[in-house]
Amino acid sequence: MYQFYTSKMVFPLILILGLGVLGNCMAYASPSETTLHTNNWAVLVCTSRYWFNYRHMANTLSLYRTVKRLGIPDERIILMLADDIACNPRNKYPAEVFNNENHKINLYGDNVEVDYRGYEVTVENFLRVLTGRHEAAVPRSKRLLSDEGSHILLYMTGHGGDEFLKFQDSEELQSHDLADAVKQMKEKHRFKELLIMVDTCQAATLFNQLHSPGVLAIGSSKKGENSYSHHLDPDVGVSVVDRFTYYTLAFFERLNMYDNTSLISLFNSYNPSLLMSTAYYRTDLYQRRLEEVPVTNFFGSVMETVHTDSAYKIVSRKDYNRGEPELHQVSQHNERTLISSDNPDHFSEPSTRDEHEALRSIWRSLHNKMERIEDADTLVNYGLVIMLPFLGISMWLSR
Amino acid sequence: MASFLRLISLLCLPILFAVSVNGSVSEGTEEDFSEDLLLKPLPDRKVLAHFHFQSRAPSSRSNSYGRHHHLFPKAISQLVHKYRIKEMELSFTQGRWRYDHWGGFDLISSSNAKPSGVELWAVFDVLPNEVDATWKNLTHSLSGLFCASINFLESSTSYSAPKWSFHPESENMRYGTLPREAVCTENLTPWLKLLPCRDKSGLSVLMDRPSIYKGYYHSQRLHLLSSEFDSNAVDSAIVLDQTLTVVLQPHNHRGTLGYSTATQLQPSWSLSTIFGRRVIGKCSLARSSNVYIQLDRGLMAELQGMLGEQEMFSIARAGFEGSRSNPAFELSANPDRVHMEMSSRYDKHASVLYMFMVAEKYDDSEPLDLRFTWKIPVAWSIPQAPLHVTRFLLGSGNERGAIALQLKSTKPSDRLMPDTVFADNCSLLVRVFQVVPWYIKVYYHTLHIFINDQPHKINNVIEKMQVSPSKDKVSPGVMEMLLKLPCGLKSAALTIEFDKGFLHIDEYPPDANQGLDIPSAVISFPDFSTSTQFVENNSSKSPILLKWQGQNPILSYTEVLLVPFTTPDFSMPYNVITITCTVLALYFGSLLNVLRRRVGEEERFMKSKATRKLRVLHLVSKLLAKLRGRQWEPSESQSPSSVSNSKSKLLFKVILVAGLAAAWQYYFG
Repeated sequence: MYQFYTSKMVFPLILILGLGVLGNCMAYASPSETTLHTNNWAVLVCTSRYWFNYRHMANTLSLYRTVKRLGIPDERIILMLADDIACNPRNKYPAEVFNNENHKINLYGDNVEVDYRGYEVTVENFLRVLTGRHEAAVPRSKRLLSDEGSHILLYMTGHGGDEFLKFQDSEELQSHDLADAVKQMKEKHRFKELLIMVDTCQAATLFNQLHSPGVLAIGSSKKGENSYSHHLDPDVGVSVVDRFTYYTLAFFERLNMYDNTSLISLFNSYNPSLLMSTAYYRTDLYQRRLEEVPVTNFFGSVMETVHTDSAYKIVSRKDYNRGEPELHQVSQHNERTLISSDNPDHFSEPSTRDEHEALRSIWRSLHNKMERIEDADTLVNYGLVIMLPFLGISMWLSR
Repeated sequence: MASFLRLISLLCLPILFAVSVNGSVSEGTEEDFSEDLLLKPLPDRKVLAHFHFQSRAPSSRSNSYGRHHHLFPKAISQLVHKYRIKEMELSFTQGRWRYDHWGGFDLISSSNAKPSGVELWAVFDVLPNEVDATWKNLTHSLSGLFCASINFLESSTSYSAPKWSFHPESENMRYGTLPREAVCTENLTPWLKLLPCRDKSGLSVLMDRPSIYKGYYHSQRLHLLSSEFDSNAVDSAIVLDQTLTVVLQPHNHRGTLGYSTATQLQPSWSLSTIFGRRVIGKCSLARSSNVYIQLDRGLMAELQGMLGEQEMFSIARAGFEGSRSNPAFELSANPDRVHMEMSSRYDKHASVLYMFMVAEKYDDSEPLDLRFTWKIPVAWSIPQAPLHVTRFLLGSGNERGAIALQLKSTKPSDRLMPDTVFADNCSLLVRVFQVVPWYIKVYYHTLHIFINDQPHKINNVIEKMQVSPSKDKVSPGVMEMLLKLPCGLKSAALTIEFDKGFLHIDEYPPDANQGLDIPSAVISFPDFSTSTQFVENNSSKSPILLKWQGQNPILSYTEVLLVPFTTPDFSMPYNVITITCTVLALYFGSLLNVLRRRVGEEERFMKSKATRKLRVLHLVSKLLAKLRGRQWEPSESQSPSSVSNSKSKLLFKVILVAGLAAAWQYYFG
């Protein structure tokens, strides 16, 4: 009898431990782990001025078009263009911007919303957008109104060097500035996951100072390497796209909103001999495995829908913390259901409330973990394997 | 069954009746929207297209729906209520209106020829001490609404408060321009989104972005007039006028012909050749949707000279006889109405307006593609403002210069002159409004006036003058003048000198090497106004015609001036930092070296090293001596003089470094 009891007690313990190992982090992780993905934002920045930097504007607008096509609405895109290229007197095609000499796609289209342009594209404004410290009068369309469940894509292109990116040929954004801004964003719960994509010379150096968790970074070139333009359009008279962005777009042109292509396949699609530089990824700050993260996690706006069996009830948080056994069951069945207590009149004791609350949060995170794990079979197998030595030990102890 | 139908019809009757009553009452209490397009051939082989959209919203006080709107854009009504705007105008312009070729004496040139870039002015209904804060918030809101950097107008250095020369009602008014603001699709799109049909149906379908921005001039304007806060107003309402004025070059299919010969045929055009699109139908939410083709006075006078009386009659009556063709030109459709301008007593020439209603008869299969084909070559000149204005810079170098404003008589025909001109002391009143940024330090006492190239006394010419000098980094300089010029003059010129100021390194724009701008001056002629009365003034309530009939002031904008500035070497701070750091490193490094070096210790160390070496030698020599069997004697040690020598050297070094440091402190510190 005693034997049976201990093994029963041990089982959930094993489960927790096993999950902790599998999930690569503990149940009590940072709060961002437990918050749901709420929305997607994109901050697209072109930092260079003048007509000969046409390609940087075209890069940014191509990304703008892509993220819009993949479902991020205009109000959640902050587009910064340092110069007016579309209606530039030198542009032979007024109100049109192309990123390919075949002129198939007009990137400027009929419905483009540029939030910051011209002289407004400064390091100060960029950092203000990221950190959300604006003057009171600044309209909502110019603010990054993200929350702790947001996934943000930050794309920057321009001329840069070792640990800096030039803004309009007159100021620099240093890697420390970027890292500080990101850190501040993290502390202000302004993002859950952040992908920084930079197309500039020595782009990798810009990520050197990043420390905040949840940040993924891709740069077009490593330290000491240049990023090159892809091709020149003889009609427009300048280079129209950079290599890194060109191949990024080539990858995305095949996709639509519903594709499940993972980030790793995007990263693997960069061929150093075509890029003429080595694309650099920094993944050490990012907790999830890249194989499991679809590209639409950042480049699109695909929400996880939460299915509820019963009608949604507005109950205060503390009311349904007694649904614990149910939760347990659910987590084992690996179902995506929201639990609401069926008899809200049953209140728990105030003294045990905190205890329950803590337990609930553990269960919740566990539940989330369970939901994310795709191959439940291996989990079960691992669990069984881990169980064996414990069984042995308990047998040996009880002897 | 029949009885049932009857019942139904009986039940429906009151509803129908109510609807019809509502429809007739709708004037004034309901929101409405109307759209117009005016096309006009220009003497320099171009075509002017002027879109006019008007939305009206009744006052929220009389409106039973509170602040809900059906047609009127909510964003604008919120703007009006939040900032208590009485009147506001925002324009985005690219290109320069050519007053000599495109006209200077009509409604379009006076209200739609705008300075390039962004111009914003607004009159608020708030307390005078709140105006600046309201203006600041308004610029931010507009910048969010129209995707432009209008928020640069928030700083007090970029806007001014004209007293009387710009607008008759100037109390609580603010005026600001951004001459270098880019205008492109991103500004047009939000502007179009204010229309109830956007650019999906109606006349706005024509706005194909590439063809509009290909034009020589485009100006997108938004004018807001609200009597919402005026308690005396009889029918308070918000009226929003949105206009887009474009000057386009029609494609000439027989384009191999050369340019600008008088005998050459003007290019023929149609909606599809200038816009690349056609009108499929009217915006179903619009009360009226009309297209007009205007032939101006100059053209009509020219045609009258070339053609006979009978033929002129056919031009004027084109619509009614069903003959859309006449000896001079051919229209592809019959105009629904022809408006003849009422001839004035001085001039028999009057402009003609052909009106085409965009009705339901046009659809996808038969779109409205208005075509205008010239049959005879014609060259004409367009009515001009009494004076043609140009502005330019004088002087050279990067230190000082002068602004010159030149007014040249355009020899207007007599009919344009108002009655006052024919009085004995004939004079012409001219108002000048000029804003100068603070870094152009204008010396107002250096104002000189030349009439017919002869210097003139200022007091004789200037009736009224108000100057508010600029304050460095706080406010721009504003100059308002009322000039009284003799009416027989050929030309007049005003010059005023200035010094160029210095900007802080942070105040330079990234492309400072291009120079900085002085915004356009506004010249207006208070004696004149445009007002076109049409012969048949029957029941036409098209907003564009009403505008035409109203009294509109004549004003023209001058060019934006580009002032080259001395740009500092922006790398200089880095050079200074580098050299200072080097010198400091040298100074402190050597000082530290001197202070930390222990000479005695070093010598002892050297000595010990030497003695160790010596000891070996000693042993060796001893051994050798032993081997040779000779008496060994020690070699002589170092001379003491070398020690004192090194000490003096050290002292010299310390003094040298200290002297260098002192000199550095003295000269650069």
